[in-house]
Amino acid sequence: MATPKAGIHGWGAYIPIYRLPLSDIAKIWGWHPDQYKGLAVESKAIAGPDEDSLTMGYEAAYNAIKRSKIEPKKISAIFFGTESKPYAVKPSATIIGEALGITPFTMASDLEFACRAASEGMRSLIGMAASGLIDYGLAIGSDTAQANPGDVLEFTAASGAAAFVIGRTSNASAIIEDSVTFVTDTPDFWRRASQPYPLHGEGFTGEPAYFYHIENAVKALLERNGLKPSDFDYAIFHQPNGKFPVKVGQDLGFNMDQMKDGLVTPMIGNTYNASALMGLARVLDKAKPGQKILLAPFGSGAGSDAYLITVTDEVENRKPLAPTVEDYLNRKVLIDYASYAKSRSIIHVIK
Amino acid sequence: MSMDLSISRFWRKKEIIYKLNGAKCKSCGKVHYPPKNACPYCGSRELELVELPRRGKLISYTTIYAIPEGARHQSPIYYGLIDLGVTKITAELTDIVNANSLKKDMEVEATLRKTQEDRDAGLIYYVLKFRPVLVQK
Amino acid sequence: MVVYVEGVGMTKIDRHYDYSLKDLAANAAFAAIEQAGGVDGIDYLVFSSSLSSLQDNQLDTASYLATSLGLRGIKALNVEAGEASGLAAISVAKSLLESHQADKVLVIGAEKLNEFVSSKVYKQLQMLYDGDTKSFYNIGFAGDAAILMRLYMDTYNVDRELMSYWPALMHSNAKENPYAMLNFAIKPDKVAKSQILADPITLLDSYPLGDGAAAIVLSNKDMSSSPLAKISAIESSTGYGSIELSEDPLLFDSLSEAFRRISNIADTSNLDFIEIHDSFTITAMIILETLGLANRGKAAELVSTGYFSPGGKGPLANPSGGLKARGHPLGATGVYQIAESSLQVANKFPGVKANNAKKGLVVSLNGLGSSSYVALVEGV
Repeated sequence: MATPKAGIHGWGAYIPIYRLPLSDIAKIWGWHPDQYKGLAVESKAIAGPDEDSLTMGYEAAYNAIKRSKIEPKKISAIFFGTESKPYAVKPSATIIGEALGITPFTMASDLEFACRAASEGMRSLIGMAASGLIDYGLAIGSDTAQANPGDVLEFTAASGAAAFVIGRTSNASAIIEDSVTFVTDTPDFWRRASQPYPLHGEGFTGEPAYFYHIENAVKALLERNGLKPSDFDYAIFHQPNGKFPVKVGQDLGFNMDQMKDGLVTPMIGNTYNASALMGLARVLDKAKPGQKILLAPFGSGAGSDAYLITVTDEVENRKPLAPTVEDYLNRKVLIDYASYAKSRSIIHVIK
Repeated sequence: MSMDLSISRFWRKKEIIYKLNGAKCKSCGKVHYPPKNACPYCGSRELELVELPRRGKLISYTTIYAIPEGARHQSPIYYGLIDLGVTKITAELTDIVNANSLKKDMEVEATLRKTQEDRDAGLIYYVLKFRPVLVQK
Repeated sequence: MVVYVEGVGMTKIDRHYDYSLKDLAANAAFAAIEQAGGVDGIDYLVFSSSLSSLQDNQLDTASYLATSLGLRGIKALNVEAGEASGLAAISVAKSLLESHQADKVLVIGAEKLNEFVSSKVYKQLQMLYDGDTKSFYNIGFAGDAAILMRLYMDTYNVDRELMSYWPALMHSNAKENPYAMLNFAIKPDKVAKSQILADPITLLDSYPLGDGAAAIVLSNKDMSSSPLAKISAIESSTGYGSIELSEDPLLFDSLSEAFRRISNIADTSNLDFIEIHDSFTITAMIILETLGLANRGKAAELVSTGYFSPGGKGPLANPSGGLKARGHPLGATGVYQIAESSLQVANKFPGVKANNAKKGLVVSLNGLGSSSYVALVEGV
């Protein structure tokens, strides 16, 4: 059976303007000043007081649609992947769809699979587009990344969004040639219903979760396509910190030259559902026609996808149509822990 | 259970509030926002919805410290009179790093943000606000 | 047709935590009734208020108030026109008299702005502006006026300090007014240094949140005995009420039209004094310029020269202290203005007096001019 293929028609990202230096977190919570250095992240992006995963997802999707050069009404599926839903019940996807002019003839749902829900949306869209069920679909990954204040997770949990318009291969900016998903029941990180912050198994999030799933997904993809790491121009992995993606890449046989452009977490922290996908957006901002990209998002609980993507000539036409990841990275204002705490509702107030 | 914010009042206006849909008068040609039931300039009822430009320039602005109920966490509120070319609108401004960065003729663009939230359990109102343009054209 | 002011009553504007809306209304109404020679013949109550339904949790207040005042059986109705409610109510009362629906009308304006915390009141006051979009924002009560003030200063190159002479003049006038909320003097340089509400509007550019009530008894010629004053004309107009819709927001279109209308039916020249709606310093400047009492962009400078001050060359501006310093209990304000002006032309105002005053113009409006009312008060 031929592998169903689909095209990435538009890509877009969003990073809020505010950055919290990790040194501030260490100071407030009494971590040793060098403790967080191993995470290889210096500051994290923080959504402002009037932002949430929905507003960030809206802007990333707005940018993706601009680059896709299609009418919003031609989109007939919206998958919003997040673990920071503004409403536990009431789809954010319909609000985004309405605001972007996509509704009403569209599928729309919020997906949950920790940090890879949006990637699950992408995989679904590949099948839907390839089968002809839809012409175009929108996958959005967006998170304001909650972390228990004082926990090590707080150093990296950041805010950001990435979005992709996916459709048939013709006239696409990049072709998704193949993709693989690998999931197991692995309790490395979770958030119980009604709880504001997730808990995690510290070291357990590493080997049995992150590394095991990404490595298996990527190996399966390479094997069935007869490819080796050196066949790729870019390799992008989920980025819970600055260290894990580099290690998993090296373990799999990729080098820093292939990985550096897809690394965004060292600058802004882990944007959860947007983490690897923002890496893809940044790579597409730079990639040349014909180049090959490996993309491997990961979500706790746990699972990983691996994608084989080839850039087309069309990419050059699409790049200038919306702000780049670099534009958002360059727009930044440092804030302190108090501003972040207020902004992210960590301070208890009576409403 | 208590809800302060209206459900239907906001829902009814979502097309206008999310998309910056103004009205153009077929008789005098003037554009206004948000759409009224007749043209405020000539009284004609022949109006058509037009999507307004999402970029404009600040004509005037203010930083508000006298904050209405429910918005303390967004204080101060930045608010501007914006020239969109075809018409003027007023809107909240966002991503303003400090009040001194506001300048006349500053270029701003629309983006979706939260304005009001009904305490902990009620509705969230999303509207278009304007922020300094990300990329100069 | 002319109507006559038979009696007036006012409470001092203050934070009247110990009095209810009805208490304040009664205090003002009983004084007005007494001056008018008793309740005989009063057949209509027109009640003016803008936030009392929210602040006092009461609808049909006019009717409940009538019974509470011992006037059960008279006709009563509420008038609400935001900040212009008071003059709107008097305009309705005048129409009732002219159409012989009433012979003698008691107009009461009462407002309590201190029944809730300030943030809630700011939200309520936001309702004065166009709710189509503003109600989904968090701009409070001073946002639109602040944008307008900056636009004014930018357009005409007017210095902030020059704008500060108006509040100083208002405080100076209010100091003599026993009904004024802020009856103390300030120097112009204090204005810019006071707390910023909505930049560039400071606390001293704005009105205080006060509680108060004012009442007048109006009658037509046949019923009149020894009136204090006459209201020779009232006119009004609606307008954009919005800086974004207006092609020229530095004039209030509704006021321009209302003033044109009143000038067509009455002689508005040779004004001895004016009582204008200075909700903010900027509102006063634009009113002065819309009325033609100052050239465009020159009102602040003219104020600073003492032109509108006691003994100045122009009409005396807001001898009461204005909304700025007398206070601005929204729906009551227009009734205060008419009561004060009636006392002026009767030479009975217990504060700053316009010399030998025969004629005064009262201006009231809502927000940035969604409606404007003008009334000419003359001696009898």
